[in-house]
Amino acid sequence: MNRFLDAILVRGLPEKDKRNANRVNLWAFGWMLSLLALSLLGIGEKQGLSLVALALLALHVLCGLCLILSYRRFLRLLDEMERKIQLEALALSVGVTIVAFSTASVLGQYNIIPPLNTAALVALMALTYMGGLIVGRLRLT
Amino acid sequence: MKNNLVDLRRAQGMTQADLAACLEVSRQSIIAIEKGKFDPSLSLALKIARLFDRPVEEIFQDES
Repeated sequence: MNRFLDAILVRGLPEKDKRNANRVNLWAFGWMLSLLALSLLGIGEKQGLSLVALALLALHVLCGLCLILSYRRFLRLLDEMERKIQLEALALSVGVTIVAFSTASVLGQYNIIPPLNTAALVALMALTYMGGLIVGRLRLT
Repeated sequence: MKNNLVDLRRAQGMTQADLAACLEVSRQSIIAIEKGKFDPSLSLALKIARLFDRPVEEIFQDES
């Protein structure tokens, strides 16, 4: 149980890695909030983008770019074992998403399942990435 | 790769956390290296060798 909690909470990371991880989490939170705000706003607005929506979209893109850059910095400065775990989790996430979505799109074309939306893609990527991190940490420690 | 990092660390009276702080890696990395589950990069292996003042091949041995 302790090993499992360690794998989730990443105990024992050097302080600089924790700081960088917090920065990534903060940008991810901002990115998610702006996406949520845009989605909620989009429900009421049916004709084009209002000024508020445009500003939110710009904020969303900015948060996304900052998220990418902060994650790249986090990876570059990361402890080498944790970097290996992160890269393997990313590979798993991308691989699973590509395979699942190519299969789902074929099934969708044959009308066996309904068309998939982008939210499912993001959720699948995030879940396989988190699963990959936990499995990687449990495997190596 | 096998290694005798546990013995060297204990001989110096260091904890895994102490060693991790000296090498600027996580304690999990030290655990994984000591258990032989993770092979350190050349630069980390050299850092370990310098810290314990031993040649790298004395600390790390190829299992094959």
